[in-house]
Amino acid sequence: MEPRNRALGEGAAADLRIERLRKTFGAVTAVDDVSIYVQHGEFVSLLGPSGCGKTTILRMIAGLIEPDSGAIVLAGEDITQRPVHRRNLGLVFQSYALFPHMSVFENVAFGLRRRPVAEDAIGRRVRAALDLVRLGAHTDRLPRQLSGGQQQRVALARAVVTEPRLLLLDEPLSNLDALLRDEMRVELKRLQEELRITTLFVTHDQAEALTLSDRIAVLSEGRLEQMGTPEAIYHSPATPFVAGFIGRSNLLDGIVVGQAEQGVRVRVGEGLELVAAASGPLRQGDRVQASLRHERIHLTEAPTPGMANSFPGRIVFRAFAGAVTQYVVQLAGGVELQVETPTAAGRLEREATVQVELAPEAVILLPAAVPAA
Amino acid sequence: MTRLLGHLRRTGLGLLSPSLLLLLLVFLIPVAIMVPLSFRPYLPGQGIGEGWTLANYTKLFTDAYYYEIVGRTIFLGLAVTLLTLVIGYPLAYFLARSRSRWRHWLTILVVFPLLLNLVVRTFGWMTLLANRGVINLALQDLGWIEQPIRLMFNFTGLLIGLTHIFLPFMVLVLIGVIQNIDRDLEDAAKVLGANWGTTFLKVTLPLSLPGIVSGSILVFVLSISALVTPRLLGGPTYKVMSTLIYDQFLQLLDWPAGSAMALMLTLIVLVLVFLSGVIARRFGMQGSVAQG
Amino acid sequence: MATATVTRPSLHIAPRLRRAGLGIWVVLVYAFLLAPVVVVVLASLSTTSYLTVPPEGITLRWFFEVLEDPGYVDAILFSLVLALIATAGSLLLGTAAAYALLRRAVPGGEAISALLMAPLVFPGVVVGVALLQFYSLIGLSATFAGLAFAHMVITIPYVVRAILASLAGTDSNLEDAACVLGANRLVAFAKVTLPLIRPGVVAGGLFSFIVSFDNVPVSIFLLGVRQTTLPVKIFTAIEYGVDPTIAAVSTMLIIVTGLFLIVAERWIGFHRFI
Repeated sequence: MEPRNRALGEGAAADLRIERLRKTFGAVTAVDDVSIYVQHGEFVSLLGPSGCGKTTILRMIAGLIEPDSGAIVLAGEDITQRPVHRRNLGLVFQSYALFPHMSVFENVAFGLRRRPVAEDAIGRRVRAALDLVRLGAHTDRLPRQLSGGQQQRVALARAVVTEPRLLLLDEPLSNLDALLRDEMRVELKRLQEELRITTLFVTHDQAEALTLSDRIAVLSEGRLEQMGTPEAIYHSPATPFVAGFIGRSNLLDGIVVGQAEQGVRVRVGEGLELVAAASGPLRQGDRVQASLRHERIHLTEAPTPGMANSFPGRIVFRAFAGAVTQYVVQLAGGVELQVETPTAAGRLEREATVQVELAPEAVILLPAAVPAA
Repeated sequence: MTRLLGHLRRTGLGLLSPSLLLLLLVFLIPVAIMVPLSFRPYLPGQGIGEGWTLANYTKLFTDAYYYEIVGRTIFLGLAVTLLTLVIGYPLAYFLARSRSRWRHWLTILVVFPLLLNLVVRTFGWMTLLANRGVINLALQDLGWIEQPIRLMFNFTGLLIGLTHIFLPFMVLVLIGVIQNIDRDLEDAAKVLGANWGTTFLKVTLPLSLPGIVSGSILVFVLSISALVTPRLLGGPTYKVMSTLIYDQFLQLLDWPAGSAMALMLTLIVLVLVFLSGVIARRFGMQGSVAQG
Repeated sequence: MATATVTRPSLHIAPRLRRAGLGIWVVLVYAFLLAPVVVVVLASLSTTSYLTVPPEGITLRWFFEVLEDPGYVDAILFSLVLALIATAGSLLLGTAAAYALLRRAVPGGEAISALLMAPLVFPGVVVGVALLQFYSLIGLSATFAGLAFAHMVITIPYVVRAILASLAGTDSNLEDAACVLGANRLVAFAKVTLPLIRPGVVAGGLFSFIVSFDNVPVSIFLLGVRQTTLPVKIFTAIEYGVDPTIAAVSTMLIIVTGLFLIVAERWIGFHRFI
């Protein structure tokens, strides 16, 4: 266990185990049998669209919502039945939830005052926490006198000053404008690494999750779709949902038609055959979904020798997006692909003919989408 | 046991139980107990008799003395409602649409009489309306009349007094209603060519109709329930339902008959409040009369 | 946008007339609303022992007579104590009820809410006579406790309504944040929510006090022989005949109510609760 920041005192980060957590609200199953393990000191994001259950899970961990079934185990102790105020966690709300009638100092001190901490120690720890988030000069202000970014930092200081074993963050950056959000993202990461607190971060923004997390849990409609490192999630999505939600990819239905030297042959569209470097047993006739990431499709003038997937195509759409340019290319067999290339690589005009290429490793095969009942 | 406590805590029933208990014991049950009493006969000089009878109710419809009072009460309620509506709507419109910084104080000024003691207000009207009261003396001094006009102990006196008492209620309800009508709607009508009158008749008035109905039901219900003002301005002989109940309980001691009358009054009120709730829900307004 | 439109002043007479008409109407209505009040105050200053308005001469002697009359003083004190106790009770019960209705999933919440608000429109005289009978059955006739409970019933709706209004404007996350930081529900309520709903508590308490203090229809049936509230005393006094002491005590009530309102508006923005 790594030593914590001495200014905040000692304390050991805990590991968190959520076991088969379930919660229904009336007819809606908000959280469906979710199990997650977070190591001590780890930064894990709960990532998913609105309504996927991530905030519900967070509130159940905090004790604000009672799960229908399942267990929440913190550092080996089952805290599922423990009341909110005795769980000793830190929670930063999406709206910050700063007490409007108390000064910044009193807000941060609130948690300490509920514990047997001497007055001078309170003062010291509050100031240390505020220094940590770089708000040391604003102790007497009221929340409404602070900017959004400052309020968020006070909320953070208030959550960590009590040395919780677990820090929960509910979309803390979503109320900030884009520039501020990027800044705070960096600060948040720095803070977490310095304090080595086990952190659970809820967000719908995949860029945030990818940059901040040690591991990501992707959720959809109450179920855990995939859990892994950012790279694993990005390069090896396990389900069509993850493939579609993370990054931008083209999803094509296809059938396995045979083997090839570098993998399997998959027919998509009418007569277009891709070579995919597939792992796992696939037989002829299996129905699959092929996920092709926009940025891994290359557009060249002439076919590259030795490239397994190389097809002639025609540019039908072009959009300049700053560092990258997005194209839509039409291939034989009625297949249209969205492609993203660095702008610096050159500019292609509409109606231009190009060669569309991608490596077999860039063709990710997923189980076929189950048709809607 | 802990599961029950947990359930009480989660649903908030624990917090509600003292209030609910109070209302049950000191409100619902006492009113419910009046029902059996109203079916008992009353023997003058002896008290409440044995056995059951419908006489207390039937005489409300057959005895002229009674149904005249009931009819008078209802007619009075309707008249008061109409008057407060007509008098109050322009004031409510003025306050709702006013952008003056005095607006809050002006609204408070409307509320001020409401919070004043009812007896005090009614006393003020007695001073104004009596045969030797301010109005009559002033009119006589001006030479406009020879004999004092009878403004008290009759329908006119009650009408004036009750209108005064309930005007603030109506105004407050109407202010809320008019404020909820988006100013843009009136502006849109004007831009489309409607003059002031047309805008009012075709836009403002129809949109304020649910609120008007709700406020009217409130004022009507309150007027027919009034006790102090009818008693003081109507005197002991010119009665309405409430003052009759008062007499029967405290003077005639005919509790069964009083209970029957009281329950009848209650029934009218409940039916109207229910109606008001239906209207409020139908038009998607917040709450009902009681939450007005 | 270059071309300016020429506005002809004569076209604006109609709106001006309308505004003037509305203004006159408004003034007349306010005059109607305040006439009795003015009359009462004037009558209280009259030197004659019968009522005249305008008063013949100015005197404050009726005020002193009221303050020296033990009957009046007792009635004032009795009303005060009753109102304070009823208000304390309904603030306690009503705040808890409002909190439960807004922040908890109460089964049948709408029905319960309607029940709590019922005394607002329910005829006071019916409540009075119902309690007269009920109390005589259970032995609470002419007791202070019976009277106090009755007053709590009629004042609770005002408290609940005011607290609901205030509570609805606060963020429920704030209490949750306090709990996560280690405060139990009661401490969280006391230290976070209560300060934030203070306007509602004050408004509710003010309404409750005034409604209780002023009440006649319920009180008149429940008072014993030797106790009386101020409004009931004035009421019965009027039935025997009017004189300036009645006007004087009424004026005192007018002044106190007016002061309450001004303070309330200044302190908590009372107009938001009416």
